[in-house]
Amino acid sequence: MDNLKIKATKHTPSINFDTEKNILVLKGECYPENISEFSTPIFSWLTDYLKQLTNEVVIVNLEISYFNSSTSRMLLEFFLKLEDGVVKNGNNITVNWLYDEDNDSAEEFGEEFEEDLDSLPFNLVVKED
Amino acid sequence: MLENIYYLKTELDTQGIFFCFSGPISQTLLMEIGETLRNKMHQEKTSPSTILKVFAMFVEQAQNIIHYSAEIVPEAKAGKGELRNGILVVGYENGHYYVVCGNMIENTDVSFLREQLIQLTNMSKDELKVYYKEQRRKAPHEKSKGAGLGFIELARRSVTPLKFDFRKIDEKFAFFSFRTEI
Repeated sequence: MDNLKIKATKHTPSINFDTEKNILVLKGECYPENISEFSTPIFSWLTDYLKQLTNEVVIVNLEISYFNSSTSRMLLEFFLKLEDGVVKNGNNITVNWLYDEDNDSAEEFGEEFEEDLDSLPFNLVVKED
Repeated sequence: MLENIYYLKTELDTQGIFFCFSGPISQTLLMEIGETLRNKMHQEKTSPSTILKVFAMFVEQAQNIIHYSAEIVPEAKAGKGELRNGILVVGYENGHYYVVCGNMIENTDVSFLREQLIQLTNMSKDELKVYYKEQRRKAPHEKSKGAGLGFIELARRSVTPLKFDFRKIDEKFAFFSFRTEI
């Protein structure tokens, strides 16, 4: 299966989903005018990726310093999809939510995602300089 | 006309308004203005956390205009490249940053929006959090082009209760204005 690589823009994060290392990285800010234009290819890739997974260790690193309200729903959907993989297929997926120490908004958003995900390992990680 | 511009500037200054825009707004413009506002606040040694919160309010309010303003540039109607008009204001007063937006809406949308906003202003921060999470799990409202979470998020972030106003313009349109503070 192909990797998914998308360059960052001023209002969308970079995507680097590596199928050999099983590390998925999203990094940047996310506040496009139309989130589904951005998220559709990501979700369709993710669906295929989850289908072919067995018991590999998968790490998902998100470093999203700012996102708008429509991205908030998209991120929850993204996490719920991963959680589905854990619950229904026994996938071994861990999410790391990385944030700057002085970015209390990103920290709070991370905490609230964590509260909403019962079965997906979700770590809040302060970024090291 | 020229004297009025100076009058406008002094009016803005007395209210601590350091950014004011009126006209067609696009995502590209939003990004450029947003970056300039962040640079300005950064140079003034505003904390990174506050800068992001002001920026977040600015983005939500600007995208509200982009999605919902009923004042559409006639030549650009339909499909991509559609431009909608609105007013955006950012200021600093009594130790707080504030963001104000204003745009036309159709009279038929007033009561729905008003009820929604009254409901939000009556909620505590904890209630808003629960409501936000509930709504985030639901599919967006049929009228919504974003996530329908924008106003809830703004209500959660604002340190003072949301302020809003509806003014009837004519048989078809009303003017909606809205203020949040950080």
